[in-house]
Amino acid sequence: MIVKADALFSFLTRCAKEELSPYSQVFFPLRPTTHPDTLVLSDNPDLGTLEIDSYRPVDPVKLLLYSVRERVYPEIRNVPERLIVGVKACDLRAVEVLDRAMINDDFTDPSYAAWRKATTLVSCDCTATAPTCHCTLVDGKPYAESGFDANLSRLGDEFLLTATTEKGKAFVQALQDFTSLAAATRESKIEVTKNREQMIQQVDRQNADLKRSRDYTAMRKVKEQPWEIESKECVGCGACTHICPTCYCLILNDESQGKRFVKVRSYDSCQWNGYARVAGGGTPRPKMTERFRNRYLCKFDYMPSNFDRLGCTGCGRCTDACPAKIDFRSAVQMILKAGTLEQTR
Amino acid sequence: MSNPYRVISASITEVIQESPLIRTLKLLPEEPIVFKTGQFVELSIPNIGEGPFTPSSSHYISDRMDITIMKTGFVTDYVHRAQVGDTVGLRGPYGSHYPLEKFDGKDVLILGGGCGLAPLRSLFLTLLHDVDRYKSITFFAGAKSPQDCIYKDQVSGWRQFPTVRFVRSVDAVPEGQEWNEDVGLVTKLLANLDIDPKTNPAIVCGPPLMMKFGTLELLKNGFKESNIYLSMEKKMYCGFGQCRHCVMGPYYACKDGPVFTYESIKNEEGIWE
Repeated sequence: MIVKADALFSFLTRCAKEELSPYSQVFFPLRPTTHPDTLVLSDNPDLGTLEIDSYRPVDPVKLLLYSVRERVYPEIRNVPERLIVGVKACDLRAVEVLDRAMINDDFTDPSYAAWRKATTLVSCDCTATAPTCHCTLVDGKPYAESGFDANLSRLGDEFLLTATTEKGKAFVQALQDFTSLAAATRESKIEVTKNREQMIQQVDRQNADLKRSRDYTAMRKVKEQPWEIESKECVGCGACTHICPTCYCLILNDESQGKRFVKVRSYDSCQWNGYARVAGGGTPRPKMTERFRNRYLCKFDYMPSNFDRLGCTGCGRCTDACPAKIDFRSAVQMILKAGTLEQTR
Repeated sequence: MSNPYRVISASITEVIQESPLIRTLKLLPEEPIVFKTGQFVELSIPNIGEGPFTPSSSHYISDRMDITIMKTGFVTDYVHRAQVGDTVGLRGPYGSHYPLEKFDGKDVLILGGGCGLAPLRSLFLTLLHDVDRYKSITFFAGAKSPQDCIYKDQVSGWRQFPTVRFVRSVDAVPEGQEWNEDVGLVTKLLANLDIDPKTNPAIVCGPPLMMKFGTLELLKNGFKESNIYLSMEKKMYCGFGQCRHCVMGPYYACKDGPVFTYESIKNEEGIWE
């Protein structure tokens, strides 16, 4: 299907303003009038201009599915039907990791599962890159191939729209009730393929100097010194883990009132000294270098062995968020280089 | 599906002050909590916080639960202020348990120190329930000083079993305290071991250093890595491998442990921290 960009944006804006009601909440990336150099995930169209293609916004989709702070016992029921449009491939891959972590045979996080069920994810091919974008370094692509309910690909002042799931088809139907959709043409599909190829090249080009080995098993064998060099500037603030679309380490706060037990989960960070500290003061990673290393190993070793997925989707948000200006890509590159040297020695 | 964060309310029916720093809470949960010895629960003090603790009672008892807790930090300070009649929360049980079936017909060695005796008492009481299934049970229990010894009132009863050997050792006897049993690090007791190390299991729990040197000593004695069972104490925050605090390489102490064989985790970092 083909939808006019104007009509789509008008549909989203009116949904967000509750003038139309297929969804109780609608989120989309927009460029805020007050901060035009950035894209944010928002439900308020009055804050700026909708920009659902471009590149990933500052906020990962994780924030909407796995809240910074949320009651998990007793569980929240009846969460609102929610539409998120303009989800980028890197965030969808992250949702795949979160799905595996939160909804599996051993364990289901009731709140995450509730939000996930009530959320329709409509992805959109990237048409630009943030300077830190590097999905192709981690076997990703700047467009989604799976994990979405519906996908949008920009073609000038139109979008090519594909729906794959029931939720995606419901989205198309809601859109169709609002505006007329044209059938997709062969030409439009060819153009999408061409645009996608170009975007891959663009991401590749901006990371040309950051190419690296894909043998992540080498990472564990790297001695302490290369980690010390890479983590020298790290202050352990935890911004990287909070903004990371796959990090989900949690703290359970007890907010019980008498016999009414209440558990609230909130984000924790393995970069913080107190993270793994046990009563009595012992901690397995007392040094910053060790905590720094833990994050890298979690992304490239532990998560792959737990979920059969890399924990890094190449969004580059950790690099943007780092107050010490540590570039995650080059740190990974240097560590893998040290690892390769280690192996050949 | 039931909520994995679900809390079961329990009331404290008795508090036993085992030593200046260690007390046992006797709990009556609102509904039975069926667990296997070695597994742990999360005990919460309402509106304060929670922590992972291993029951110290036999797993054949599910309508009541004993938990032995040392005063060592924020939550445990509150545990030590709790009184009979107070309500606490329990979540669980979580994690792996001692593989009792592998102990059948064996000379079982239990090596523990300090508050590490808590999970070991659960194991020990569970073993005593079918004491004839095991050739013998040797329990080496360590403490810093005589007044730090716990479960004092039960020791003589345990020593009645003909196939049970319960040996206590204290690191030192300060002036004014009485002691007529062994003195020295508990791991020293291994020197007088008269069971075949090659075929028998050893279960270790205690402070990190004691576990480390206890394990090394067992290996030196000829115990197999796959027969040494360790109860790893990490920050097991959620209990089901979600919060990642207790990560040990690809393992979670809460989900894959707390009971591990030494063989399975010997290459992981920071296991003794």
